[in-house]
Amino acid sequence: MSQNRPGLAQYALLTLLAIVFLYPIWWAVSSSLKPAAEIIASPLSIGELTLDNYRAMFADVPIGTGFLNTGLVLLLKGGMTMVFCPLAGYAFAKFDFPLKNLLFGVVLLTLMLPTLVLIIPLLLEMSALGWVNTYQALILPGSIDAFSIFWMRQTIAAIPDELIDAGRVDGAGEFGIFYKVVLPVIRPGLAALAVLTTMNIYNDFVWPVVAVNDTAHQTLQVVLSTLAQNITGNRIGADFATVWGELLAAGSIAMLPLLVIFVLLQRHFINGILAGSVKG
Amino acid sequence: MRLRSIRLTPYLFIAPFFAVFGAFGLYPLIYALQLSFMHWRGGSQARWVGFDNYLFLLTNSDFWASLGNSAVMWLLIVPIQLVAGLGGAVLLADAKLRLRGLFRVAFIAPFVTPIVAMAQVWIVVFDQDYGLVNYLLNLVGLPDVGWLTSTAWSKPTLALLFLWKTTGFAIIILLAGLQAVPGGVYEAASLDGASRWRQFWSITVPLVRRSMAFLVVIQTLAVFQMFAEPHVVTEGGPYGSTTTAGLYLYEHITASDLGTGAANSFLLVLLVFGLSLVSVRMLRPKDGVS
Repeated sequence: MSQNRPGLAQYALLTLLAIVFLYPIWWAVSSSLKPAAEIIASPLSIGELTLDNYRAMFADVPIGTGFLNTGLVLLLKGGMTMVFCPLAGYAFAKFDFPLKNLLFGVVLLTLMLPTLVLIIPLLLEMSALGWVNTYQALILPGSIDAFSIFWMRQTIAAIPDELIDAGRVDGAGEFGIFYKVVLPVIRPGLAALAVLTTMNIYNDFVWPVVAVNDTAHQTLQVVLSTLAQNITGNRIGADFATVWGELLAAGSIAMLPLLVIFVLLQRHFINGILAGSVKG
Repeated sequence: MRLRSIRLTPYLFIAPFFAVFGAFGLYPLIYALQLSFMHWRGGSQARWVGFDNYLFLLTNSDFWASLGNSAVMWLLIVPIQLVAGLGGAVLLADAKLRLRGLFRVAFIAPFVTPIVAMAQVWIVVFDQDYGLVNYLLNLVGLPDVGWLTSTAWSKPTLALLFLWKTTGFAIIILLAGLQAVPGGVYEAASLDGASRWRQFWSITVPLVRRSMAFLVVIQTLAVFQMFAEPHVVTEGGPYGSTTTAGLYLYEHITASDLGTGAANSFLLVLLVFGLSLVSVRMLRPKDGVS
């Protein structure tokens, strides 16, 4: 089928699919900019634009705190991923050492461990350490993850050994070789890892909602979910229009940073998923 | 000296992972196993109860209902996603396709959006009285549907959210499989007189089988752990119809019934592994095809 020139029907189908995927995002963002009453009264039309929903939302929920906390977790947890996972990947790809296969097997096994099994004992561990409602609880668990190591190993294994040996001949130390030879070569892979890691940490919900229950440490997604729950919890008597305006404003503003990053880096991101997946 | 430092280096490079995994993976895992054999509720003293937690769950209708809810979600999601994903991938696989990058971006954009944010959009879009979908239905003269308030529609509406969000990801994964097909294979098949349909079944499908198996496994894990969607959109209702296995497990935490929760998570893991094995076996290439 791929040798035929793409026909009109193919473009029509693709366009239809693209509309299905993009419309909810477009609708949410455009509605969030409409006067609240209009979201209910005329959900399809866009007339007057206003920032009222955003003003009300900023006044009602600590979304700024949410952004700051998520930013901090991203920086530290993401930073750990970006430093330690390529290092471990390098060791598994280019060194021979006793127990290597066994240790790599452990990495692969942990890939299959569902987060749900760990939640309860992790929560107890956090309270034993006095870490409930702390940044370390949000940052440390999962900060050096098996998937990133596995994927970095695949990426680094593709580097020719000669390149690394050449660095050794020049007298560089092992870490020097990693820093001066390996890292520059895998820059596209690192960019993709950065996008994937950012996405995972930014969108993470289950663990933050369990580990943190005070407003000061809530991440963005947790702040958002409490907004939704206050609303569904107080359905009767709530002014739907206002409340929905705020919900859509909060959702839109939470989507925006990732969508921008994604559009800017989409090539790396998609190639990253392509490279990290199992090929037929 | 030099030799020695080389011997130590790889261990130093992988040590941080094992430190983090030991502290926040292995230790809690062993702890959870122990906990699953203990009764520990609220502030009470923990005590050893053997298999009681497991027996309690296995004879508890809420536990089975949560598995049933997740199983229905699985049925509503995984087969549809495989078909839609493969369709999208085939449409995109064409190297001569114009605007290819643009389509890829459009398809995967939902995958990037935070699930909590989109769950909120779903609340607004599918509201029975004022939502966009019922507004559209009314425009064409159809009556309101209780998308999130009727037990018949709540699961399909949440499944739709999951499908919307992750099908683009499925398309990209399957595209990776398709791109491994050498272009000449199709030309040779055409010359041999194979129809397009025949080419699809004999060349395309066998070659993406492994990607499909991969998708089924990760989506099985994801669907049975599904949490944010029902937690935010329906809070498990109406009448428990969207209390998924993941949400039910969370309820043990909010009820401080941690022993039962731990047992529940192990039962869930066993089930998910079993389902994954069965799926992989079913999708395994038949003899003779790579």
